[in-house]
Amino acid sequence: MSDDQKSDSLQPEEIRSTGSLLSAKCARQTDGGPSSVAVGSLSIKKPQGFFDERSLPATEMTPGRLRYLTRRDVLLFGAGAVAALTGAGFLLPQDTLSRLGVRQNMDSPGKEWLLNKALRIDDDVAEVLYSGNRRVPTYAKSQITPLKNNYNGATPDPGYVSGWNLTLEGLTSGLSISLDIRNLTSRFSVHEQITRLVCVEGWSAVAWWGGLRFDDLLRAYPPMSQANWARVESSVNLDASGNPDPYFMSLDLATARHPQTLLATHFKGQPLTVDHGAPLRLLVPVKLGLKNVKAITRITYVAEEPRDYWAERGYSRYDGI
Amino acid sequence: MSHSATPANKPNSTSTLPHRPHVLVFRRHHLLVRWSHWLNVPILLGLILSGISIYWASPVYQHKPDPTTGNFDVAADIGIWISAHVPGLHQYSRPPDWIYNHMSLGPGMLALALRLHWLCAYSFILNGLVYVAGLVMGGGWRSLLLRRTDLSDSPKMFWYYLGFPFAKLTRRRWPHPHFNTKYNALQRAAYFSIPVAGFLSITTGWAIHKPMQFHWLAAIFGGYNAARVWHFWLMWLYIAFVVPHVILVLADGWDSLRSMIVGWSTKVKRSEAIANER
Repeated sequence: MSDDQKSDSLQPEEIRSTGSLLSAKCARQTDGGPSSVAVGSLSIKKPQGFFDERSLPATEMTPGRLRYLTRRDVLLFGAGAVAALTGAGFLLPQDTLSRLGVRQNMDSPGKEWLLNKALRIDDDVAEVLYSGNRRVPTYAKSQITPLKNNYNGATPDPGYVSGWNLTLEGLTSGLSISLDIRNLTSRFSVHEQITRLVCVEGWSAVAWWGGLRFDDLLRAYPPMSQANWARVESSVNLDASGNPDPYFMSLDLATARHPQTLLATHFKGQPLTVDHGAPLRLLVPVKLGLKNVKAITRITYVAEEPRDYWAERGYSRYDGI
Repeated sequence: MSHSATPANKPNSTSTLPHRPHVLVFRRHHLLVRWSHWLNVPILLGLILSGISIYWASPVYQHKPDPTTGNFDVAADIGIWISAHVPGLHQYSRPPDWIYNHMSLGPGMLALALRLHWLCAYSFILNGLVYVAGLVMGGGWRSLLLRRTDLSDSPKMFWYYLGFPFAKLTRRRWPHPHFNTKYNALQRAAYFSIPVAGFLSITTGWAIHKPMQFHWLAAIFGGYNAARVWHFWLMWLYIAFVVPHVILVLADGWDSLRSMIVGWSTKVKRSEAIANER
Protein backbone atom coordinates (compact mmCIF):
# COMPACT_ATOMS: atom_id res chain seq x y z
CA MET A 1 0.00 0.00 0.00
CA SER A 2 1.28 3.42 -0.86
CA ASP A 3 1.48 6.18 1.69
CA ASP A 4 -1.36 8.28 0.34
CA GLN A 5 -3.72 5.31 0.48
CA LYS A 6 -3.16 5.00 4.17
CA SER A 7 -4.80 8.36 4.77
CA ASP A 8 -8.02 7.23 3.07
CA SER A 9 -10.64 6.12 5.53
CA LEU A 10 -12.24 3.85 2.93
CA GLN A 11 -9.27 1.64 2.42
CA PRO A 12 -10.13 -2.03 2.94
CA GLU A 13 -7.30 -2.65 5.36
CA GLU A 14 -8.64 -0.07 7.75
CA ILE A 15 -12.19 -1.23 7.41
CA ARG A 16 -11.15 -4.70 8.26
CA SER A 17 -9.14 -3.55 11.20
CA THR A 18 -12.01 -1.60 12.72
CA GLY A 19 -13.82 -4.86 13.07
CA SER A 20 -17.44 -3.96 12.39
CA LEU A 21 -19.76 -3.25 9.54
CA LEU A 22 -20.99 -0.24 11.45
CA SER A 23 -17.63 1.48 11.29
CA ALA A 24 -17.40 0.77 7.57
CA LYS A 25 -20.60 2.64 6.99
CA CYS A 26 -19.65 5.47 9.28
CA ALA A 27 -16.33 5.71 7.58
CA ARG A 28 -18.08 6.26 4.31
CA GLN A 29 -20.31 8.98 5.78
CA THR A 30 -17.41 10.82 7.30
CA ASP A 31 -15.42 10.46 4.15
CA GLY A 32 -12.96 13.27 3.68
CA GLY A 33 -12.61 14.13 7.31
CA PRO A 34 -9.51 13.36 9.29
CA SER A 35 -9.80 9.68 8.76
CA SER A 36 -7.82 8.29 11.61
CA VAL A 37 -9.95 10.16 14.13
CA ALA A 38 -13.25 9.30 12.44
CA VAL A 39 -12.56 5.61 12.24
CA GLY A 40 -10.82 5.34 15.53
CA SER A 41 -13.56 7.00 17.51
CA LEU A 42 -16.33 4.88 16.04
CA SER A 43 -14.76 1.50 16.03
CA ILE A 44 -15.96 -1.01 18.56
CA LYS A 45 -13.24 -1.61 21.06
CA LYS A 46 -14.58 -4.86 22.48
CA PRO A 47 -11.95 -7.55 21.92
CA GLN A 48 -13.12 -10.23 19.49
CA GLY A 49 -13.54 -13.76 20.72
CA PHE A 50 -12.73 -16.74 18.56
CA PHE A 51 -16.40 -17.38 17.83
CA ASP A 52 -17.38 -13.73 17.24
CA GLU A 53 -18.53 -12.83 13.78
CA ARG A 54 -15.95 -10.86 11.78
CA SER A 55 -16.78 -8.05 9.40
CA LEU A 56 -16.94 -9.00 5.76
CA PRO A 57 -13.75 -8.42 3.81
CA ALA A 58 -14.28 -5.28 1.74
CA THR A 59 -12.64 -3.95 -1.35
CA GLU A 60 -13.08 -1.01 -3.69
CA MET A 61 -13.38 -1.16 -7.42
CA THR A 62 -14.62 0.97 -10.27
CA PRO A 63 -18.19 0.26 -11.39
CA GLY A 64 -16.78 -0.78 -14.76
CA ARG A 65 -14.58 -3.42 -13.25
CA LEU A 66 -17.39 -4.64 -11.00
CA ARG A 67 -19.61 -4.97 -14.07
CA TYR A 68 -16.90 -6.82 -15.97
CA LEU A 69 -16.16 -9.28 -13.18
CA THR A 70 -19.85 -9.83 -12.52
CA ARG A 71 -20.52 -10.51 -16.21
CA ARG A 72 -17.56 -12.89 -16.39
CA ASP A 73 -18.61 -14.90 -13.33
CA VAL A 74 -22.29 -14.98 -14.26
CA LEU A 75 -21.41 -16.24 -17.74
CA LEU A 76 -19.14 -18.91 -16.25
CA PHE A 77 -21.94 -19.84 -13.89
CA GLY A 78 -24.39 -20.12 -16.78
CA ALA A 79 -21.99 -22.34 -18.70
CA GLY A 80 -21.59 -24.52 -15.60
CA ALA A 81 -25.35 -24.74 -15.17
CA VAL A 82 -25.84 -25.82 -18.79
CA ALA A 83 -23.07 -28.40 -18.41
CA ALA A 84 -24.60 -29.72 -15.18
CA LEU A 85 -28.06 -29.96 -16.77
CA THR A 86 -26.65 -31.84 -19.75
CA GLY A 87 -24.66 -34.14 -17.50
CA ALA A 88 -27.65 -34.81 -15.25
CA GLY A 89 -29.87 -35.52 -18.27
CA PHE A 90 -27.22 -37.91 -19.57
CA LEU A 91 -27.25 -39.86 -16.30
CA LEU A 92 -31.02 -40.29 -16.01
CA PRO A 93 -32.44 -43.77 -16.68
CA GLN A 94 -33.96 -44.26 -20.11
CA ASP A 95 -37.43 -44.84 -18.61
CA THR A 96 -37.29 -41.46 -16.87
CA LEU A 97 -36.16 -39.73 -20.05
CA SER A 98 -38.96 -41.38 -22.04
CA ARG A 99 -41.46 -40.07 -19.51
CA LEU A 100 -39.98 -36.60 -19.99
CA GLY A 101 -40.57 -36.95 -23.73
CA VAL A 102 -37.09 -37.95 -24.89
CA ARG A 103 -37.66 -40.49 -27.65
CA GLN A 104 -34.02 -41.08 -28.46
CA ASN A 105 -32.11 -43.85 -26.75
CA MET A 106 -29.68 -42.07 -24.45
CA ASP A 107 -28.04 -45.18 -23.00
CA SER A 108 -24.35 -45.21 -23.75
CA PRO A 109 -21.21 -47.09 -22.70
CA GLY A 110 -19.99 -43.94 -20.92
CA LYS A 111 -23.09 -43.75 -18.76
CA GLU A 112 -22.84 -47.43 -17.86
CA TRP A 113 -19.17 -47.00 -17.07
CA LEU A 114 -19.75 -44.07 -14.72
CA LEU A 115 -22.66 -45.65 -12.86
CA ASN A 116 -20.86 -48.98 -12.58
CA LYS A 117 -17.82 -47.11 -11.31
CA ALA A 118 -19.93 -45.64 -8.50
CA LEU A 119 -21.20 -49.14 -7.75
CA ARG A 120 -17.65 -50.51 -7.71
CA ILE A 121 -16.38 -47.77 -5.42
CA ASP A 122 -19.25 -48.51 -3.07
CA ASP A 123 -18.42 -52.23 -3.16
CA ASP A 124 -14.75 -51.48 -2.45
CA VAL A 125 -15.76 -49.33 0.51
CA ALA A 126 -17.95 -52.19 1.80
CA GLU A 127 -15.04 -54.59 1.46
CA VAL A 128 -12.76 -52.25 3.43
CA LEU A 129 -15.41 -51.92 6.15
CA TYR A 130 -15.74 -55.68 6.54
CA SER A 131 -13.95 -57.29 9.43
CA GLY A 132 -13.86 -61.01 10.00
CA ASN A 133 -13.89 -60.42 13.75
CA ARG A 134 -16.80 -58.02 13.91
CA ARG A 135 -19.98 -59.81 14.92
CA VAL A 136 -23.36 -58.58 13.78
CA PRO A 137 -25.89 -57.74 16.50
CA THR A 138 -27.94 -60.64 17.81
CA TYR A 139 -31.43 -60.33 19.23
CA ALA A 140 -33.66 -61.87 21.86
CA LYS A 141 -36.50 -64.24 20.88
CA SER A 142 -38.99 -61.53 21.83
CA GLN A 143 -37.55 -59.30 19.07
CA ILE A 144 -38.17 -61.78 16.25
CA THR A 145 -40.25 -60.34 13.40
CA PRO A 146 -42.16 -62.15 10.63
CA LEU A 147 -40.14 -63.22 7.59
CA LYS A 148 -42.06 -63.57 4.37
CA ASN A 149 -41.34 -66.08 1.63
CA ASN A 150 -39.38 -63.84 -0.67
CA TYR A 151 -38.61 -66.29 -3.45
CA ASN A 152 -37.87 -64.12 -6.48
CA GLY A 153 -40.04 -66.29 -8.73
CA ALA A 154 -42.43 -69.12 -7.94
CA THR A 155 -41.73 -71.27 -4.89
CA PRO A 156 -40.26 -74.63 -6.01
CA ASP A 157 -42.34 -77.78 -5.76
CA PRO A 158 -41.32 -79.66 -2.54
CA GLY A 159 -40.53 -82.76 -4.60
CA TYR A 160 -36.87 -81.82 -4.87
CA VAL A 161 -36.23 -82.15 -1.13
CA SER A 162 -36.25 -85.95 -0.92
CA GLY A 163 -33.52 -86.39 -3.53
CA TRP A 164 -31.54 -83.34 -2.44
CA ASN A 165 -27.73 -83.35 -2.42
CA LEU A 166 -25.10 -80.69 -1.89
CA THR A 167 -22.22 -80.89 -4.36
CA LEU A 168 -18.85 -79.37 -3.48
CA GLU A 169 -16.35 -78.58 -6.22
CA GLY A 170 -13.01 -76.82 -6.49
CA LEU A 171 -11.57 -78.62 -3.48
CA THR A 172 -7.90 -79.24 -2.63
CA SER A 173 -8.52 -82.93 -3.18
CA GLY A 174 -9.68 -82.23 -6.72
CA LEU A 175 -12.69 -84.40 -6.01
CA SER A 176 -16.33 -83.58 -6.37
CA ILE A 177 -18.04 -84.29 -3.06
CA SER A 178 -21.73 -85.00 -2.69
CA LEU A 179 -23.35 -84.70 0.73
CA ASP A 180 -26.91 -85.33 1.81
CA ILE A 181 -28.59 -83.47 4.65
CA ARG A 182 -27.91 -86.27 7.17
CA ASN A 183 -24.15 -86.12 6.41
CA LEU A 184 -24.22 -82.41 7.10
CA THR A 185 -26.30 -82.35 10.28
CA SER A 186 -24.60 -85.33 11.89
CA ARG A 187 -21.06 -84.34 11.12
CA PHE A 188 -21.08 -80.65 12.09
CA SER A 189 -22.13 -78.92 15.27
CA VAL A 190 -25.24 -76.81 15.09
CA HIS A 191 -25.08 -73.09 15.88
CA GLU A 192 -28.10 -70.96 16.57
CA GLN A 193 -28.42 -67.23 16.10
CA ILE A 194 -31.10 -64.57 15.95
CA THR A 195 -29.93 -61.99 13.44
CA ARG A 196 -31.36 -59.39 11.08
CA LEU A 197 -31.75 -60.21 7.43
CA VAL A 198 -31.68 -56.99 5.36
CA CYS A 199 -33.13 -56.86 1.86
CA VAL A 200 -31.73 -54.57 -0.83
CA GLU A 201 -35.27 -53.20 -1.12
CA GLY A 202 -35.04 -51.76 2.39
CA TRP A 203 -37.15 -54.08 4.52
CA SER A 204 -35.59 -56.36 7.08
CA ALA A 205 -36.56 -59.18 9.43
CA VAL A 206 -35.13 -60.45 12.69
CA ALA A 207 -35.15 -64.24 12.45
CA TRP A 208 -33.97 -67.24 14.43
CA TRP A 209 -31.73 -69.60 12.51
CA GLY A 210 -29.84 -72.79 13.22
CA GLY A 211 -27.25 -74.56 11.13
CA LEU A 212 -23.61 -75.36 10.60
CA ARG A 213 -20.94 -72.77 10.15
CA PHE A 214 -19.76 -72.32 6.58
CA ASP A 215 -16.29 -72.08 8.13
CA ASP A 216 -16.63 -75.63 9.53
CA LEU A 217 -17.49 -76.93 6.07
CA LEU A 218 -14.48 -75.08 4.63
CA ARG A 219 -12.24 -76.72 7.24
CA ALA A 220 -13.67 -80.19 6.60
CA TYR A 221 -13.47 -79.88 2.82
CA PRO A 222 -10.74 -77.32 2.15
CA PRO A 223 -11.01 -75.41 -1.12
CA MET A 224 -8.08 -75.40 -3.54
CA SER A 225 -5.33 -73.02 -2.47
CA GLN A 226 -5.91 -70.42 -5.19
CA ALA A 227 -9.63 -70.13 -4.41
CA ASN A 228 -10.86 -66.72 -3.24
CA TRP A 229 -14.50 -67.11 -4.08
CA ALA A 230 -17.38 -69.48 -3.69
CA ARG A 231 -20.03 -69.77 -6.35
CA VAL A 232 -23.20 -70.75 -4.48
CA GLU A 233 -25.99 -72.15 -6.65
CA SER A 234 -29.49 -73.42 -6.44
CA SER A 235 -30.72 -75.42 -9.39
CA VAL A 236 -34.28 -75.64 -8.08
CA ASN A 237 -35.20 -71.94 -8.32
CA LEU A 238 -38.03 -70.98 -10.64
CA ASP A 239 -38.96 -67.79 -12.42
CA ALA A 240 -42.31 -66.06 -11.92
CA SER A 241 -44.07 -68.32 -14.43
CA GLY A 242 -42.68 -71.48 -12.83
CA ASN A 243 -39.92 -72.31 -15.34
CA PRO A 244 -36.46 -73.32 -14.10
CA ASP A 245 -34.36 -70.25 -13.29
CA PRO A 246 -31.17 -71.42 -11.56
CA TYR A 247 -29.89 -68.94 -8.99
CA PHE A 248 -26.15 -68.36 -8.70
CA MET A 249 -24.30 -66.00 -6.44
CA SER A 250 -20.71 -65.02 -5.74
CA LEU A 251 -19.43 -65.04 -2.17
CA ASP A 252 -15.90 -64.05 -1.14
CA LEU A 253 -14.29 -66.65 1.09
CA ALA A 254 -13.45 -64.05 3.75
CA THR A 255 -17.18 -63.58 4.29
CA ALA A 256 -17.84 -67.33 4.05
CA ARG A 257 -15.43 -67.77 6.99
CA HIS A 258 -17.26 -65.25 9.19
CA PRO A 259 -18.40 -67.01 12.39
CA GLN A 260 -22.01 -65.92 11.80
CA THR A 261 -22.15 -67.16 8.22
CA LEU A 262 -24.27 -70.30 8.47
CA LEU A 263 -25.42 -73.02 6.18
CA ALA A 264 -28.81 -72.96 7.85
CA THR A 265 -30.88 -76.06 8.31
CA HIS A 266 -33.35 -74.70 10.86
CA PHE A 267 -35.70 -71.74 11.12
CA LYS A 268 -37.49 -70.95 14.40
CA GLY A 269 -36.12 -74.19 15.84
CA GLN A 270 -37.76 -76.32 13.11
CA PRO A 271 -36.20 -77.82 9.97
CA LEU A 272 -36.40 -75.33 7.09
CA THR A 273 -39.62 -75.33 5.12
CA VAL A 274 -39.59 -75.07 1.32
CA ASP A 275 -40.54 -71.37 1.65
CA HIS A 276 -37.28 -70.69 3.43
CA GLY A 277 -35.04 -72.91 1.31
CA ALA A 278 -35.27 -76.47 2.64
CA PRO A 279 -33.17 -78.35 3.37
CA LEU A 280 -30.10 -76.05 3.36
CA ARG A 281 -29.79 -72.34 2.75
CA LEU A 282 -27.07 -69.78 3.12
CA LEU A 283 -27.48 -67.33 5.99
CA VAL A 284 -24.92 -64.57 5.67
CA PRO A 285 -26.04 -61.64 7.81
CA VAL A 286 -23.12 -59.39 6.74
CA LYS A 287 -24.54 -59.42 3.19
CA LEU A 288 -27.80 -58.27 1.65
CA GLY A 289 -30.64 -60.79 1.60
CA LEU A 290 -30.13 -61.55 -2.07
CA LYS A 291 -26.84 -63.31 -1.21
CA ASN A 292 -28.67 -65.66 1.17
CA VAL A 293 -29.27 -68.42 -1.38
CA LYS A 294 -32.12 -70.81 -0.62
CA ALA A 295 -32.04 -74.55 -1.33
CA ILE A 296 -28.31 -74.60 -2.16
CA THR A 297 -27.45 -77.49 -4.47
CA ARG A 298 -23.84 -76.72 -5.37
CA ILE A 299 -20.87 -74.79 -4.00
CA THR A 300 -17.88 -74.29 -6.30
CA TYR A 301 -14.64 -72.73 -5.09
CA VAL A 302 -12.93 -70.61 -7.72
CA ALA A 303 -9.98 -68.22 -8.02
CA GLU A 304 -11.74 -65.46 -9.99
CA GLU A 305 -14.95 -63.70 -9.02
CA PRO A 306 -17.78 -65.83 -10.40
CA ARG A 307 -20.98 -64.61 -12.07
CA ASP A 308 -23.73 -63.30 -9.86
CA TYR A 309 -27.46 -63.41 -10.63
CA TRP A 310 -28.29 -59.91 -9.36
CA ALA A 311 -25.02 -58.27 -10.42
CA GLU A 312 -26.03 -59.24 -13.96
CA ARG A 313 -29.27 -57.36 -13.36
CA GLY A 314 -27.60 -54.09 -12.39
CA TYR A 315 -27.12 -54.60 -8.64
CA SER A 316 -23.79 -54.56 -6.86
CA ARG A 317 -21.58 -57.65 -6.55
CA TYR A 318 -20.07 -57.56 -3.11
CA ASP A 319 -23.23 -56.50 -1.26
CA GLY A 320 -21.56 -56.20 2.14
CA ILE A 321 -23.68 -54.39 4.68
CA MET B 1 -5.86 -4.91 -4.10
CA SER B 2 -3.58 -3.48 -6.73
CA HIS B 3 -6.43 -3.12 -9.19
CA SER B 4 -8.04 -0.39 -7.08
CA ALA B 5 -5.19 1.91 -8.02
CA THR B 6 -5.29 5.44 -6.75
CA PRO B 7 -7.65 7.45 -8.92
CA ALA B 8 -6.59 10.86 -10.28
CA ASN B 9 -9.18 12.73 -8.26
CA LYS B 10 -8.21 11.00 -5.07
CA PRO B 11 -9.33 13.04 -2.09
CA ASN B 12 -6.97 14.06 0.62
CA SER B 13 -7.77 15.00 4.16
CA THR B 14 -8.55 18.62 3.28
CA SER B 15 -11.05 18.10 0.44
CA THR B 16 -14.80 18.13 1.03
CA LEU B 17 -17.38 15.91 -0.77
CA PRO B 18 -15.03 14.49 -3.35
CA HIS B 19 -16.21 12.72 -6.47
CA ARG B 20 -15.82 8.99 -5.86
CA PRO B 21 -16.12 6.69 -8.84
CA HIS B 22 -15.44 3.60 -6.75
CA VAL B 23 -17.89 1.07 -5.41
CA LEU B 24 -17.35 -0.60 -2.09
CA VAL B 25 -17.92 -4.34 -2.39
CA PHE B 26 -18.02 -6.91 0.37
CA ARG B 27 -16.96 -10.50 -0.11
CA ARG B 28 -19.85 -12.49 1.25
CA HIS B 29 -19.15 -16.07 0.17
CA HIS B 30 -15.90 -17.94 -0.30
CA LEU B 31 -15.33 -19.52 -3.71
CA LEU B 32 -15.58 -23.05 -2.29
CA VAL B 33 -18.81 -22.20 -0.48
CA ARG B 34 -20.30 -20.91 -3.76
CA TRP B 35 -19.16 -23.96 -5.70
CA SER B 36 -20.52 -26.42 -3.19
CA HIS B 37 -23.75 -24.41 -2.85
CA TRP B 38 -24.55 -24.71 -6.55
CA LEU B 39 -23.30 -28.28 -6.88
CA ASN B 40 -25.81 -29.19 -4.20
CA VAL B 41 -28.64 -28.37 -6.59
CA PRO B 42 -28.10 -31.28 -9.04
CA ILE B 43 -26.73 -33.58 -6.32
CA LEU B 44 -29.67 -33.12 -3.95
CA LEU B 45 -32.12 -33.37 -6.82
CA GLY B 46 -30.48 -36.63 -7.89
CA LEU B 47 -30.53 -37.94 -4.32
CA ILE B 48 -34.20 -37.10 -3.82
CA LEU B 49 -35.37 -38.45 -7.19
CA SER B 50 -33.40 -41.69 -6.88
CA GLY B 51 -34.25 -41.88 -3.17
CA ILE B 52 -37.99 -41.92 -3.81
CA SER B 53 -37.43 -44.56 -6.51
CA ILE B 54 -35.65 -46.65 -3.87
CA TYR B 55 -38.46 -45.93 -1.40
CA TRP B 56 -40.90 -47.44 -3.93
CA ALA B 57 -39.30 -50.89 -3.51
CA SER B 58 -40.18 -51.01 0.18
CA PRO B 59 -42.22 -48.04 1.41
CA VAL B 60 -41.67 -46.95 4.99
CA TYR B 61 -45.33 -46.03 5.30
CA GLN B 62 -47.54 -49.05 4.66
CA HIS B 63 -50.94 -50.30 5.72
CA LYS B 64 -52.76 -53.63 5.47
CA PRO B 65 -53.22 -54.53 1.78
CA ASP B 66 -56.41 -53.15 0.28
CA PRO B 67 -58.81 -56.12 -0.23
CA THR B 68 -59.63 -55.14 -3.83
CA THR B 69 -56.41 -53.62 -5.21
CA GLY B 70 -53.87 -55.27 -2.91
CA ASN B 71 -52.18 -51.91 -2.47
CA PHE B 72 -50.37 -51.28 0.82
CA ASP B 73 -48.33 -48.18 -0.02
CA VAL B 74 -49.48 -44.84 1.38
CA ALA B 75 -47.65 -42.99 -1.42
CA ALA B 76 -49.66 -45.01 -3.94
CA ASP B 77 -52.86 -44.05 -2.08
CA ILE B 78 -51.92 -40.40 -2.43
CA GLY B 79 -51.36 -40.92 -6.17
CA ILE B 80 -54.77 -42.59 -6.46
CA TRP B 81 -56.38 -39.71 -4.57
CA ILE B 82 -54.65 -37.11 -6.77
CA SER B 83 -55.70 -38.90 -9.96
CA ALA B 84 -59.28 -39.07 -8.71
CA HIS B 85 -59.60 -35.46 -7.51
CA VAL B 86 -57.29 -33.25 -9.54
CA PRO B 87 -59.04 -31.98 -12.69
CA GLY B 88 -57.50 -33.33 -15.87
CA LEU B 89 -55.96 -36.37 -14.22
CA HIS B 90 -59.00 -38.67 -14.29
CA GLN B 91 -57.61 -40.48 -17.31
CA TYR B 92 -54.20 -41.05 -15.70
CA SER B 93 -53.14 -44.55 -16.71
CA ARG B 94 -51.46 -45.73 -13.49
CA PRO B 95 -52.82 -43.75 -10.52
CA PRO B 96 -50.80 -45.71 -7.90
CA ASP B 97 -47.62 -44.68 -9.72
CA TRP B 98 -48.54 -40.99 -9.93
CA ILE B 99 -46.28 -39.96 -7.03
CA TYR B 100 -43.38 -42.06 -8.32
CA ASN B 101 -43.82 -40.82 -11.87
CA HIS B 102 -43.77 -37.20 -10.73
CA MET B 103 -41.49 -37.15 -7.68
CA SER B 104 -38.91 -39.80 -8.51
CA LEU B 105 -37.03 -41.34 -11.41
CA GLY B 106 -39.96 -43.72 -11.67
CA PRO B 107 -41.26 -46.96 -10.18
CA GLY B 108 -39.70 -50.37 -10.79
CA MET B 109 -36.10 -49.32 -11.32
CA LEU B 110 -34.44 -50.16 -8.03
CA ALA B 111 -31.06 -51.22 -9.44
CA LEU B 112 -30.74 -48.06 -11.56
CA ALA B 113 -31.91 -45.85 -8.71
CA LEU B 114 -29.41 -47.40 -6.29
CA ARG B 115 -26.50 -46.82 -8.67
CA LEU B 116 -27.48 -43.17 -9.13
CA HIS B 117 -28.04 -42.78 -5.40
CA TRP B 118 -24.52 -44.03 -4.62
CA LEU B 119 -23.03 -41.73 -7.26
CA CYS B 120 -24.88 -38.73 -5.84
CA ALA B 121 -24.27 -39.77 -2.23
CA TYR B 122 -20.50 -39.96 -2.63
CA SER B 123 -20.61 -36.63 -4.51
CA PHE B 124 -22.69 -35.16 -1.68
CA ILE B 125 -20.15 -36.27 0.92
CA LEU B 126 -17.23 -34.81 -1.06
CA ASN B 127 -19.22 -31.64 -1.71
CA GLY B 128 -19.92 -31.33 2.01
CA LEU B 129 -16.18 -31.45 2.68
CA VAL B 130 -15.63 -28.71 0.08
CA TYR B 131 -18.31 -26.61 1.78
CA VAL B 132 -16.73 -27.04 5.20
CA ALA B 133 -13.32 -26.17 3.74
CA GLY B 134 -14.83 -23.00 2.23
CA LEU B 135 -16.43 -22.05 5.54
CA VAL B 136 -13.13 -22.47 7.35
CA MET B 137 -10.98 -20.76 4.73
CA GLY B 138 -13.35 -17.83 4.32
CA GLY B 139 -14.17 -17.61 8.02
CA GLY B 140 -17.86 -17.77 7.14
CA TRP B 141 -18.60 -20.40 9.75
CA ARG B 142 -18.77 -17.71 12.44
CA SER B 143 -21.77 -16.10 10.76
CA LEU B 144 -23.70 -19.37 11.01
CA LEU B 145 -23.34 -19.84 14.75
CA LEU B 146 -26.58 -19.50 16.64
CA ARG B 147 -26.87 -16.72 19.23
CA ARG B 148 -28.91 -16.47 22.37
CA THR B 149 -30.69 -13.38 20.97
CA ASP B 150 -31.95 -15.49 18.04
CA LEU B 151 -34.65 -16.87 20.30
CA SER B 152 -36.32 -13.47 20.55
CA ASP B 153 -35.28 -12.22 17.12
CA SER B 154 -36.61 -15.20 15.19
CA PRO B 155 -40.32 -14.49 15.85
CA LYS B 156 -39.74 -10.85 14.80
CA MET B 157 -38.22 -11.97 11.51
CA PHE B 158 -40.95 -14.53 11.04
CA TRP B 159 -43.59 -11.84 11.60
CA TYR B 160 -41.79 -9.58 9.15
CA TYR B 161 -41.73 -12.24 6.40
CA LEU B 162 -45.33 -13.21 7.11
CA GLY B 163 -46.62 -9.65 6.93
CA PHE B 164 -44.42 -8.48 4.07
CA PRO B 165 -46.71 -9.49 1.16
CA PHE B 166 -49.76 -7.93 2.86
CA ALA B 167 -47.83 -4.74 3.64
CA LYS B 168 -46.81 -4.54 -0.02
CA LEU B 169 -50.35 -5.09 -1.21
CA THR B 170 -51.80 -2.49 1.15
CA ARG B 171 -48.85 -0.13 0.59
CA ARG B 172 -48.14 0.04 4.28
CA ARG B 173 -44.72 0.68 5.72
CA TRP B 174 -43.25 -2.56 7.00
CA PRO B 175 -39.86 -1.91 8.56
CA HIS B 176 -37.29 -4.66 8.46
CA PRO B 177 -36.14 -5.70 11.96
CA HIS B 178 -32.73 -4.25 12.69
CA PHE B 179 -29.68 -6.49 12.70
CA ASN B 180 -26.00 -5.82 12.08
CA THR B 181 -24.78 -9.33 11.38
CA LYS B 182 -24.32 -11.08 8.06
CA TYR B 183 -27.57 -13.01 8.49
CA ASN B 184 -30.73 -12.37 10.41
CA ALA B 185 -31.87 -14.75 13.14
CA LEU B 186 -34.05 -16.90 10.85
CA GLN B 187 -31.41 -17.11 8.15
CA ARG B 188 -28.90 -18.20 10.75
CA ALA B 189 -31.27 -20.87 12.02
CA ALA B 190 -31.82 -22.14 8.47
CA TYR B 191 -28.22 -21.95 7.28
CA PHE B 192 -27.05 -23.59 10.49
CA SER B 193 -29.55 -26.45 10.38
CA ILE B 194 -29.08 -27.36 6.73
CA PRO B 195 -25.42 -28.42 7.11
CA VAL B 196 -26.42 -30.29 10.28
CA ALA B 197 -29.19 -32.00 8.30
CA GLY B 198 -26.65 -32.83 5.60
CA PHE B 199 -24.45 -34.45 8.21
CA LEU B 200 -27.41 -36.40 9.59
CA SER B 201 -28.48 -37.51 6.11
CA ILE B 202 -25.00 -38.86 5.51
CA THR B 203 -24.84 -40.63 8.87
CA THR B 204 -28.36 -42.10 8.63
CA GLY B 205 -27.49 -43.08 5.06
CA TRP B 206 -24.45 -45.03 6.25
CA ALA B 207 -26.53 -46.52 9.07
CA ILE B 208 -29.03 -48.04 6.63
CA HIS B 209 -26.47 -48.80 3.94
CA LYS B 210 -24.12 -50.70 6.26
CA PRO B 211 -26.36 -51.72 9.18
CA MET B 212 -24.02 -54.53 10.22
CA GLN B 213 -20.58 -52.88 10.06
CA PHE B 214 -22.10 -49.62 11.41
CA HIS B 215 -24.69 -51.21 13.72
CA TRP B 216 -23.66 -48.77 16.47
CA LEU B 217 -24.55 -45.90 14.13
CA ALA B 218 -27.96 -47.41 13.39
CA ALA B 219 -28.41 -47.86 17.15
CA ILE B 220 -27.83 -44.12 17.70
CA PHE B 221 -30.83 -43.39 15.49
CA GLY B 222 -32.93 -46.06 17.18
CA GLY B 223 -32.07 -49.06 15.02
CA TYR B 224 -32.16 -49.91 11.34
CA ASN B 225 -35.84 -49.23 10.73
CA ALA B 226 -35.82 -45.97 12.66
CA ALA B 227 -32.74 -44.80 10.73
CA ARG B 228 -34.73 -45.29 7.50
CA VAL B 229 -37.48 -43.06 8.88
CA TRP B 230 -34.90 -40.43 9.85
CA HIS B 231 -33.34 -40.59 6.40
CA PHE B 232 -36.77 -40.18 4.78
CA TRP B 233 -37.85 -37.15 6.82
CA LEU B 234 -34.49 -35.42 6.46
CA MET B 235 -35.26 -35.32 2.74
CA TRP B 236 -38.44 -33.37 3.49
CA LEU B 237 -36.39 -30.92 5.52
CA TYR B 238 -34.43 -29.97 2.38
CA ILE B 239 -37.64 -29.55 0.41
CA ALA B 240 -39.12 -27.46 3.23
CA PHE B 241 -35.96 -25.35 3.24
CA VAL B 242 -35.53 -24.90 -0.50
CA VAL B 243 -39.00 -23.50 -1.22
CA PRO B 244 -38.83 -20.42 1.05
CA HIS B 245 -35.08 -20.14 0.40
CA VAL B 246 -35.61 -19.63 -3.34
CA ILE B 247 -38.63 -17.36 -2.86
CA LEU B 248 -36.80 -15.14 -0.35
CA VAL B 249 -33.64 -14.87 -2.44
CA LEU B 250 -35.67 -13.85 -5.48
CA ALA B 251 -37.64 -11.38 -3.36
CA ASP B 252 -34.44 -9.98 -1.89
CA GLY B 253 -33.12 -9.21 -5.34
CA TRP B 254 -30.11 -9.41 -7.56
CA ASP B 255 -27.49 -8.49 -4.98
CA SER B 256 -28.20 -11.60 -2.89
CA LEU B 257 -28.26 -13.93 -5.88
CA ARG B 258 -25.13 -12.34 -7.34
CA SER B 259 -23.27 -12.72 -4.07
CA MET B 260 -23.69 -16.52 -4.30
CA ILE B 261 -22.45 -16.53 -7.90
CA VAL B 262 -19.78 -13.84 -7.88
CA GLY B 263 -19.09 -13.62 -4.18
CA TRP B 264 -19.62 -9.88 -3.73
CA SER B 265 -22.34 -7.78 -2.30
CA THR B 266 -22.54 -4.02 -2.61
CA LYS B 267 -24.88 -3.76 0.35
CA VAL B 268 -23.00 -2.51 3.36
CA LYS B 269 -25.48 -3.14 6.09
CA ARG B 270 -28.14 -5.61 5.19
CA SER B 271 -31.10 -4.50 7.25
CA GLU B 272 -30.70 -0.82 6.44
CA ALA B 273 -30.04 -1.49 2.77
CA ILE B 274 -33.23 -3.53 2.66
CA ALA B 275 -35.11 -0.79 4.48
CA ASN B 276 -33.81 1.92 2.15
CA GLU B 277 -34.87 0.01 -0.92
CA ARG B 278 -38.42 -0.38 0.16
